[in-house]
Amino acid sequence: MLSARNISKSFGGSQALRGVSADFHEAEVVALVGENGAGKSTLLKVLSAVHPRSSGEATLDGASYTPRNQREAEAQGVALVFQELNVNRSLGIAENVMLGHLRDYRRFGLIDWKRLHADAQRILDRIGADFRATDDIHRLDLGRIKTIEVARALATNPRFVFFDESTAFLNHGEAQRLMSVIRELKAQGIGIAFVSHHMHEVFEISDRLIVLKDGALVGDWPTAEMTEERLAELMVGREMIGGLFPQRGGPSGGPVKVELRGVVTASGVGPVDLAVAAGEILGIGGLKGSGGESILSALAGAEAIDAGAMLLDGREYRPGHPAEALSARIAHLPGDRTGEGVITEFSVLENLTLAARPVKSAVLSDRRRMMALATEQIATLGIKTAGPEAAVGALSGGNMQKVVLGKCLATAPEVLLLNNPTRGVDIGAKAEIYRVIRKLASDGLAVVMVTEDLPELLGLSDRVMVTRKGRVAKVFGHGTEPNEEEVVKWMM
Amino acid sequence: MDDVKQAAKSATAHERSTLDQVRQWFPVGLLLLLCLGFALTSDRFLTVNNGLIILQQSAVLLVAAVAMTFVIVSGSIDLSVGSVVALSALAAAALSPEMGVWAILPAVGIGVLCGLLNGLLFSYGKIPSFIVTLGTMVIFRGLVLLYTKGAPVSITDRDFLLVYTGRSLGIPNAVLIAIVATLIAAVIFNHTVFGREVRAIGGGERVALLSGIRVDRVKLWVFVLCGALCGLAGLLQSARTMAATAQLAQGLELDVIAAVVVGGTPLTGGIGRIRGTVLGVLIIAILSNGMNMTGVDPYLQNILKGLVLIVAVFLTIDRSKISIIK
Repeated sequence: MLSARNISKSFGGSQALRGVSADFHEAEVVALVGENGAGKSTLLKVLSAVHPRSSGEATLDGASYTPRNQREAEAQGVALVFQELNVNRSLGIAENVMLGHLRDYRRFGLIDWKRLHADAQRILDRIGADFRATDDIHRLDLGRIKTIEVARALATNPRFVFFDESTAFLNHGEAQRLMSVIRELKAQGIGIAFVSHHMHEVFEISDRLIVLKDGALVGDWPTAEMTEERLAELMVGREMIGGLFPQRGGPSGGPVKVELRGVVTASGVGPVDLAVAAGEILGIGGLKGSGGESILSALAGAEAIDAGAMLLDGREYRPGHPAEALSARIAHLPGDRTGEGVITEFSVLENLTLAARPVKSAVLSDRRRMMALATEQIATLGIKTAGPEAAVGALSGGNMQKVVLGKCLATAPEVLLLNNPTRGVDIGAKAEIYRVIRKLASDGLAVVMVTEDLPELLGLSDRVMVTRKGRVAKVFGHGTEPNEEEVVKWMM
Repeated sequence: MDDVKQAAKSATAHERSTLDQVRQWFPVGLLLLLCLGFALTSDRFLTVNNGLIILQQSAVLLVAAVAMTFVIVSGSIDLSVGSVVALSALAAAALSPEMGVWAILPAVGIGVLCGLLNGLLFSYGKIPSFIVTLGTMVIFRGLVLLYTKGAPVSITDRDFLLVYTGRSLGIPNAVLIAIVATLIAAVIFNHTVFGREVRAIGGGERVALLSGIRVDRVKLWVFVLCGALCGLAGLLQSARTMAATAQLAQGLELDVIAAVVVGGTPLTGGIGRIRGTVLGVLIIAILSNGMNMTGVDPYLQNILKGLVLIVAVFLTIDRSKISIIK
């Protein structure tokens, strides 16, 4: 038995785990459930020594369990399968399975391929893989690739295998394959713990549920005694923070600004029908990759559409490039702050005017106008910076996010597309960003917001739409005010 | 996680800013150090005449390095600059009997065409610039060989030589032309929207694209601009040697890249200064000139040049901004 007692973990100032205790038994499947940021992945990573724990104790069969790194954890019988794919496709299947142990297969300094393939095959057989260690790795689908990672974990001869959202990138069939591998491992006496956002997986294969919320343990129940509704309540079960979200107006009554009719995006999301009025905030919720981001990209001119039509002010709108979206007064706040939003080596001033790019005398960069735009955004958004010339890379996450928002606003948009506008932003900056967005909407901006943050979705949106697996699952009308459980139900 | 980075950042912010200062002034310091060293060991080094010789020697390198600065800051590379210079020099030499002074037009025109080809293949053909220009470097050089069959094409036109090898107010015209071209390029780099877009693309192509910058178009123009300036450099080179040869400006691209990098512009793109490149060019030119003046064994000179390049980059590179060095 692996026991964790009072485990805490903080990253810098933020507390990811607060005194969590949990037990893991052999031949048992435990599901860790909770919202984003509840600490599920962190718990697994601390127990498999990917992250050092800040405090707390752990024992393995009563003896102290204090691995200093992942290798030591594996040596003591605890292995982790990551959320991301960690298979190197320029190596073969057998090499990937034995990646951490290739040194054991040397003969006269060269790799003993025969023995390597035989051992890898033995592990693949153990989990019932339907491919061979010598097959071409490029022919495998994601589910089978994930199986290689499970096999790699098994190569360390573990007693416990932890899965961190391992089905996040898998389709249904591929996820089913992984589920049957987990059953197989359980039958062989291995203890399993897994993180999943898919309710049906949780109920399908787990024996026990551990619920976490905001880094703390909510409780621990046999799966058989739990219902989906009760679980959603336990996961969410928080009071709405009154002061965080600004007061809504009524229905905006403005004219329809943007409309989508049967739109199917290039990445296959849709068909989507939606209409957003001037002065309205439409919130799109859904699990990551369920389609919201693709809808935003299409509107922003960053992704083509394969079918349907987009209308702006009632006229056909089909941007072929983000530049066309901007000249149609549609601004886009992308989801990845440092990869898509700002150039970290550039100054606050240059970033704020990156999309607006004021010109004078036809070609020259208008420094005075740049400075005016930047000063205005710094004041409106309350960006805390040493000055407009300071490098953006030195700002905190919240202030950097305000710079991305300011960059959008400097273009004087009529439509604002927001992709997770407050991801990784502290609560103070969050409230300020919400206040600004609401103010813009009441001034007549049409806002489309995609977010994975439930309270944000419900607290800021005038209307909520939920996407699931590339389709619109549900649109809640004006004044219906759905609660979190209802929304979560449509996401799953 | 953001918080951790944040804490680490503010702790070292002070150190960083002093270090940045050192980095910024390093090319100036190196330049002064070289001048001081050579002045002490040779009494012919620090003379007006030698100064003019250094400027004259660096005119071609300066124009080409300024061109390369745009390419490198945009995050790309152009290995074909030496070959473009040779091809443009050939155009100038071959047409100088008919066109005289106006042979500048075909020289720059050829440069523009070369840049256009590089830019189209890179930007719209989506082939990495390193590969495109590695190929065109060989092709353009091949065209020179094909035309000259290895024999030099001499320039005898009086007007041409009078203008491009002459002096105004005691300063070589080639130097004046190079200075004017550099000033214009500096204005484009620092004060136009195009210049900002070039830096933005080098700093983060995805960010630039999502900010509505026509990334493909800007990249194409960067290569056309580079070609045009290399065409001008080719003209200056042909005037200096009074002929175009098949080996002209061979290996120039390496000196050009060295000058840009020594001037403090990293190959990773996004940051850089024309001013830095001017210093880098002077460092390389003075190093060559000074070594000759002080009688450094010619067989040793390449080794010293290489060492200066590596040491300069070792000292100036900001490793905190580049996570993977390759």
